[in-house]
Amino acid sequence: MIALVPGVPALLPSYASLDDPVAELRAACLEVVAGLGPRVRVRASGPSAARVAAALVEAVGAAVVDDAGTGETGVLVVGNGSAKRTEKAPGHFDPRAEEFDAALRRTFAGIDADLAAELWADTGCLGGLPPLAEATVLYDDAPFGVQYWVALWA
Amino acid sequence: MLRLGRHAFGDDEALMMAIVNRTPDSFFDKGATWAEDAAFDRVAEVVAQGAEIVDIGGIKAAPGVEISAVEEKARVVDFVARVRATYPDLVISVDTWRAEVGAAVCAAGADVLNDAWGGADPELVDVAAEYDAAIICTHTGGVTPRTRPYRIEYDGPGGVVAAAIADTVAYAERALAAGVARESIVIDPAHDFGKNTFHSLEVTHRLGEMVATGWPVLVSLSNKDFVGETLGLDVGERLLGTLAATSVCALAGARIYRVHQVVETRQTVDMVWSIAGRRPPLRAIRGLQ
Repeated sequence: MIALVPGVPALLPSYASLDDPVAELRAACLEVVAGLGPRVRVRASGPSAARVAAALVEAVGAAVVDDAGTGETGVLVVGNGSAKRTEKAPGHFDPRAEEFDAALRRTFAGIDADLAAELWADTGCLGGLPPLAEATVLYDDAPFGVQYWVALWA
Repeated sequence: MLRLGRHAFGDDEALMMAIVNRTPDSFFDKGATWAEDAAFDRVAEVVAQGAEIVDIGGIKAAPGVEISAVEEKARVVDFVARVRATYPDLVISVDTWRAEVGAAVCAAGADVLNDAWGGADPELVDVAAEYDAAIICTHTGGVTPRTRPYRIEYDGPGGVVAAAIADTVAYAERALAAGVARESIVIDPAHDFGKNTFHSLEVTHRLGEMVATGWPVLVSLSNKDFVGETLGLDVGERLLGTLAATSVCALAGARIYRVHQVVETRQTVDMVWSIAGRRPPLRAIRGLQ
């Protein structure tokens, strides 16, 4: 089993609000991570990503196992599309962002790393993933101008 | 846990106690809610603003016309019953020092006896115990009810704060011994009661020492003369000064705020509560997407 979640710091317990700004995203993330079984290997590259992954794994009562470990029951990949989708996006609006994200939605193969960096996308660990068309996609939106996917490949 | 009569609150909650005067002459509103319906409208307003507690008073604190216990009861008892019937979830406090009045309002549904005069009537604690009501134990330096402080000094070690702690804690222990529930006893340094402006400023600065006693602390700062004298402002101009003092007390951990302006005080206390790490932000996403 492989799951994909975005490394959104607002998912961390230390950044909890009274009124959860990412309630739907959180619910989707917990659902896919819960599907990975008790021993989860994490592949994360962006800032906060490993912390977010560890928090999600802990929240479902599973444990993170390292690369050398055996007996993993699932892999949690952390990453997301561009952060320049709108005027109010973290990286402000870039007209190339929407097509960049649309291309990722078709395939994670052949990602332009330079463009990803320019668009503040966290794609370092997405390269080997099967296409989203083969996954159960629980979340596909850019609520804050950042493209998130939450998906599970059986 | 803090229990105020019928109502319980967690130890991380800050509570707004809105002042409702059934008086023709209180200093801030000058009789605006003297008529019973006006006072009832005031209750509706502060409930809508989110106040957890109303503090109903029938006698202004400052010197003035003598108000008998009979007259005081006529002002507050039926009113308490009306508020109790309309707002079952609201905490009703009554600002009185008289045991006779305390018993009558508790029978009518009051949850808290706010004794602003520091135990002047020794039987008030027995009334609180009998009705399982909460009691606010204030420090007045031993002055007679409805008198102004005049040349009062606190010369002992620790000054005014040590005196306020000694007296309020002694009062709290007396209430406990009389049978008032431990979780229903609150202490209040009582700004400006038996205190000049310098005393009230020092009590504000050192409020953390009162909080450290472990008893929940109430502060009554709203538009008082220590704010007015500090900033050179008349009664209607003291909100910002009040809120500055409120911030200091909130950071120290005061639990109950007796106020005229509920919305402004709530915002101030919520902000400080979050700064102190006792309350998450309402909704934080900037930089965390």
